[in-house]
Amino acid sequence: MRIAFTLSLFREYLANYIKTKLTYRADFWVEVLSDLMFSAMNLIFIFVVFTHTPSLGDWSEAEVVFVYGYFMIPYGIFSTFSNLWNFSERYITKGEMDRILTRPANSLAQVMLENVDPPSLIGSFVGLGIMGVAWGRLGLPFHWYDPLVLIVMVLGSVLIYLGLYTALAAISFYSDAPTGIGPLIYNIQNYGRYPIQIYNKGIRFLLTWLLPFAFVGVYPASFFLERHADRTMAWLTPVVGLIVGAIGLIVWNSGVKRYRGAGS
Amino acid sequence: MLAIDVNQLRKQFKVQKNREGLKGAMLDLFKREHTEVTAVKDISFQIPQGEICGYIGENGAGKSTTIKMLTGILVPTSGRILVNGYVPYKEREEFVRGIGVVFGQRSQLWWDIGVIESFRLLRKVYRVDEADFKRRLDELVETLQLQDLLNRPVRKLSLGQRMRCELVAALLHQPSILFLDEPTIGLDIVVKTEIREFLKRLNRDHGTTILLTTHDLQDIEALCSRVIMLDDGRIIYDGGLEELKERWGKGREVQFQFTDPISLDAVSSLTSGLDVRWTKENEVTAKVWIPRELNVSDVLSRVVGSAAEISDIKIFETNTDEIVREIYRTGSPEAKEAVRG
Amino acid sequence: MASAYLDFVRIRFLMMLAYRVNYYSGIVIYAINIGAYYFMWKAIYGSAETLGGFTVEQMTTYIAVSWMARAFYFNNLDREISNEIRDGSVAVQMTRPISYLMVKMMQGFGEGLFRLLLFMVPGMIIVTLIFPVSLPTDPVRWVIFFVMIWFSFLINSQLNIMTGLFAFYVENNEGLMRLKRVLIDLLSGVILPMTFFPGWAKAILDWLPFQAITYLPGSVFTGRLNGAEVWNALLVQVVWFAALIVPILLMWRTARKRLFVQGG
Repeated sequence: MRIAFTLSLFREYLANYIKTKLTYRADFWVEVLSDLMFSAMNLIFIFVVFTHTPSLGDWSEAEVVFVYGYFMIPYGIFSTFSNLWNFSERYITKGEMDRILTRPANSLAQVMLENVDPPSLIGSFVGLGIMGVAWGRLGLPFHWYDPLVLIVMVLGSVLIYLGLYTALAAISFYSDAPTGIGPLIYNIQNYGRYPIQIYNKGIRFLLTWLLPFAFVGVYPASFFLERHADRTMAWLTPVVGLIVGAIGLIVWNSGVKRYRGAGS
Repeated sequence: MLAIDVNQLRKQFKVQKNREGLKGAMLDLFKREHTEVTAVKDISFQIPQGEICGYIGENGAGKSTTIKMLTGILVPTSGRILVNGYVPYKEREEFVRGIGVVFGQRSQLWWDIGVIESFRLLRKVYRVDEADFKRRLDELVETLQLQDLLNRPVRKLSLGQRMRCELVAALLHQPSILFLDEPTIGLDIVVKTEIREFLKRLNRDHGTTILLTTHDLQDIEALCSRVIMLDDGRIIYDGGLEELKERWGKGREVQFQFTDPISLDAVSSLTSGLDVRWTKENEVTAKVWIPRELNVSDVLSRVVGSAAEISDIKIFETNTDEIVREIYRTGSPEAKEAVRG
Repeated sequence: MASAYLDFVRIRFLMMLAYRVNYYSGIVIYAINIGAYYFMWKAIYGSAETLGGFTVEQMTTYIAVSWMARAFYFNNLDREISNEIRDGSVAVQMTRPISYLMVKMMQGFGEGLFRLLLFMVPGMIIVTLIFPVSLPTDPVRWVIFFVMIWFSFLINSQLNIMTGLFAFYVENNEGLMRLKRVLIDLLSGVILPMTFFPGWAKAILDWLPFQAITYLPGSVFTGRLNGAEVWNALLVQVVWFAALIVPILLMWRTARKRLFVQGG
């Protein structure tokens, strides 16, 4: 019932987003373009590096590109729904959180919906395309269950993003000073798309258990790569997703509690 | 039934201290110091349904904090609140469907799209059914004359137009209580009057309870039958506007213009023995404040009967503005105690 | 007059100090970035002795020093300027008897100075202890390096100012700012030294200002450039600095005209 209500709100907010964007059409395309350029840059890095070496820690170029294609899918979905980069400034410093709290809907849902960013979704489709091309180049077999597994993996990865960044945004409830943790996490997330084996133990541990960004790229993608398939880690993706998502929700709720002066 | 029932309400905040200078900033890097500030100090008041109540006080007196607690944004440190039969900070989502809130300096409308789109979205958020929404919107649009504005984006509206739209946005779901935080701030006199008329009508036709904070005492005079005055987190006056005038407007001022230059000592000596207060305006002009217990004529006769030659006399009755200023200036606890009765 | 500008440096420096979490997280970001790239490059090198003309040690030193230099020259002037243009406060700033763009430069410098002293110096010491970094022994090289990263700061800030000033011409330059950040990170040589690019790409990049920001000072520091090449690199920076003043002044002039004619 509540979820249905929130979903119905999504349609309304989306409609308002589209109306807003129609007034700034040129910006819309610049945004789409810059998102795609960003992905192109990362691919360029991979291509340039592979002009100098045949493999990256035993991973071939097509395999690394395959992982990158997967990486783009959950990231695009996450960016569409959780565009919280300026949460602290807009909602805490400028006080818009007060308005959110005088409205009869879940506070996190409202904040997320007010910032929907559908152009990011284009990145997901491009990622799917890249994955498809790499799939063919690697000559991987295609099973009937692969699309289903992909959906489960992507959902798990999206939950990891949502949980981590929601928790991060909730930090602003505790301190309105810029923390710089946003860029920190953003930086680290980018290492999840390279073969985890190339890093040393410390970074591997960090990417697997502390800020589990290996689960938004290399682990779930490895499920489809026969040569590097690590089924255990791959199947942990939805599990870790649920755990991190729950943590994000808990941190958000306690942050709101603190904002309203009920905590501590 | 009471619309708002507040009992021994208190709110404390922890405030970070920033130490001064480079050394202070370096120290702050490692250890922060906090101080506790009590914004609202055990206040109690009751507002029956259908009343328009003004909530006034200087900046930092605790007005906004109280409003935020009443609207469910903040959770009180201690005390009891009951608004519309709900405890605002519990069951927040259920509770806020019965109230309307306008923060004068913050918009609740989408900046880039037509006003009507924001209204439609709010209809969804508050789950108002289509027929009710249409009826309500038509009524509001007509009384506030917004027909031509509905399709304009908010950023193209003047402040007055925007404020009228904000009111609509807050009233679409037929709240029985309306909270207004500085609703007329920055508006010109014509728009202010329009908004006051609208609020009066709303209160009369729908019995909407209204609690508003304001710095503009004209708002209070025009709208409120009752005033709650806050100073440093405490209620220093709670009662009718007329009563406030009567109790505090207990003095009058008389201005004398003399033909020759005078000194404050000289004029004060004329009324020695009487409990009056002289102030000098310029070389030849002085004002005397006379409390209600004294007869103005007693003072007049003394001054007029003296050797000083007078060219003009004016008598002033104090207005609300001055009363309020006077209350804040004297600020002594006895004076406040006396007001509370 | 000059002392007024110096005050902006001081105030920004103090402001940076006030945001302590930002400071701690910044250190962690850079440590992780350097670490992750160190391992990635180790994997890329595999058993190869030199790649793109860099030995493994030179590469390690290059990564460390270019991230440290980035700490100094990096700032968010683009975002600050476009925010001030959009909320209209730039008009207020124009009424002051000091140059708006100079003020911005000074604020950026205060930020850079803060990071240089509290960030880059301790960071460099730690990095030298953990990773096999070889520092130059010639004091002259050190001096030239510091002169060069000063120019890196100037050129990067100039590009930021230009990006920020675009807010005068388009309603929303968010996409442009993102694009610029990606371009600088990829094309300035932070994540990939110029010599790794294929010949045709390098030929183009030689004619762009980006390499002057990271690649040139990094190459001087690691000893990849010697003798006359060093002075040549410095000259390239100076030329770019001088050349970029022109478009900035042009943009600023037309922007002011727009502001006065249209009233913002």
